[in-house]
Amino acid sequence: MKAVTEFFDRSTHSRTGNQLLSSQGRFALLVSIAVLAVAAPIVQMIHPFWLNLMVRMMIFALLALSLDFVFGYAGLLSFGHAAMFGAGGYAAAIVITEVTPHALVVLPIAVVAGVVIAALIGWLSVRARGIYFAMLTLAFAQMFYVVAFTDLPATILDRGSVTGGDNGLYGIGMYELFGIDFTSTLMYFYLTLGLVALSLAIIIRLANSQFGRVLQGIRENEERIEFIGYDVQRYKVVGFAISGGFAGLAGGLYVPFQSVAHPGLLHWMISGELIVMLLLGGMGTLWGPMLGAGLVVLLEEQLAGFASWEIILGGIFVGVVIFAPRGLAGILISLRNDPGSAVENAKQAVRDYLEAVRG
Amino acid sequence: MTTTTTEPNPTEFEGGIVLETNGLTKKFGALTAVDDVSLEIESGTINSIIGPNGAGKTTLFNLFTGKHEPTSGSIKFRGVDIGGRKPHEIVADGIVRSYQITNFFSELTTLENVRLATQARQTGFRPTDFVRHHGSVQEPIDEARRVLERVHLGDVAQRRAANLSYGQRRHLEIAISLAADPDLLLMDEPTAGMSPEETRETVELITEIAEDVTLVLIEHDMEIVMDISDRIAVMNMGSLLARGTPEEIQQDDRVQEAYLGGGDRD
Repeated sequence: MKAVTEFFDRSTHSRTGNQLLSSQGRFALLVSIAVLAVAAPIVQMIHPFWLNLMVRMMIFALLALSLDFVFGYAGLLSFGHAAMFGAGGYAAAIVITEVTPHALVVLPIAVVAGVVIAALIGWLSVRARGIYFAMLTLAFAQMFYVVAFTDLPATILDRGSVTGGDNGLYGIGMYELFGIDFTSTLMYFYLTLGLVALSLAIIIRLANSQFGRVLQGIRENEERIEFIGYDVQRYKVVGFAISGGFAGLAGGLYVPFQSVAHPGLLHWMISGELIVMLLLGGMGTLWGPMLGAGLVVLLEEQLAGFASWEIILGGIFVGVVIFAPRGLAGILISLRNDPGSAVENAKQAVRDYLEAVRG
Repeated sequence: MTTTTTEPNPTEFEGGIVLETNGLTKKFGALTAVDDVSLEIESGTINSIIGPNGAGKTTLFNLFTGKHEPTSGSIKFRGVDIGGRKPHEIVADGIVRSYQITNFFSELTTLENVRLATQARQTGFRPTDFVRHHGSVQEPIDEARRVLERVHLGDVAQRRAANLSYGQRRHLEIAISLAADPDLLLMDEPTAGMSPEETRETVELITEIAEDVTLVLIEHDMEIVMDISDRIAVMNMGSLLARGTPEEIQQDDRVQEAYLGGGDRD
């Protein structure tokens, strides 16, 4: 077990007083992954549909994780992460259909597609700050949406179809790897779990690296970090591109699983939902947004039967933002630190809010 | 590359001109914030820039550090024109500034605040910079600790910067700038808002730093200015009004009129 925790993070004690996760936290992550791995076959037996839902929860957890790396961790408010998600998804769809369904070929291409799009959007947007950066990323992502929706590449390349326009690309085949049958949801679950766990490990590694510390410095005080000698714009572009790679991977996992790539993947609704996942989960913690993503996907699925489930999700969202501004992660952290006064804390949060409203 | 802040400047610049501006001008639209300023900063000296608010002192700092690009004129650092260079390149060249308002990473520990500055000189975009844990790269940590000892913040290294006292914050502010290993340190009102006791400590610290770093201060406390400066530059409405030793400045009629209020000084 120690070897595994060390894989997640070699330095177990923090000499600089800064550590993204305590060793306890890393252990909790490993336990969660193990529980998921063990629970999957049982869920499959009880109700196969739930396993399908869990795969989608994990894919969106990966997408939320990629956004948290730049938004919560580096302070880059990206409103266009759907672009990289969609880029990875379309890249996977096209390569599987036209070239090969080999996972070791397709998934890296999905990652590269995400990196390239993110580097482009990032490079064009990092000169702006704050809300202007957010609006630029949103605008660029919507451009990519239109490119896919109108199948612009087909017009340019003078081919019948590349992105399939508003229909999208459907009937996408499944991955092949070492003869494993990924049409089995259980096998796809393990593929997804493995890649999400690997991505989380890599991102924690990055976040604790010297590079990651600079990103955090940018979030804390962009001007000062520039005036102690860092090329802030370059750090932002590189951070954004790395994040885009993981978003692309999420797209590459999502499309073959749904067997369709449609422009909706690139739509700003996805980017907006991602922000909700981050705020709900507690941004900047990396694991919080993953929880938030799981919760949002679960609620969507469960509440879709209701006429206007968005109102319920919206209600939960408002509640969390008002009473637990640090999200689910914040609630869990304070529960761990001080389980005795949980009820008292909750009451206090309500009292504080009521007082604030009364003025 | 100099790796510690305690080493003296390279001898080749000893006594020479570190920074030289020629006809330096910065305009913001119709406003001329810095107007045709020509001055030299000699290596190893303490220099003060004084002048009323809006005289262009801070704009001058912003020009030296690359925050603003000169409208016209030149800034030479060790003989090389740095006008138009990016802030992080100028820091790498050896010009670093500290801030008047406390301007650091308040959610990070005191040590991490300084470590980020010591890390800057040896990190970049090599593969190891992305994978090695920041806590396992020893050199920047050791160096940050040395800088903290130097500004008497060793005891609070693990405390969050936001929880430091006012005096400690101001020292951290100086520590971060020192950790970037400057040859020329620009200090914006290092004693602003301090109690007499804190001011005395800070002045001591400044004179200590001056042993191996060339200093330019913006300072309003005339007693301090006259006491520690080797050279003083007086600015008014963007222009350089006078330059000289404290004695020369005190006896300059134009300065008396424009800034020191014309009153007699002892």
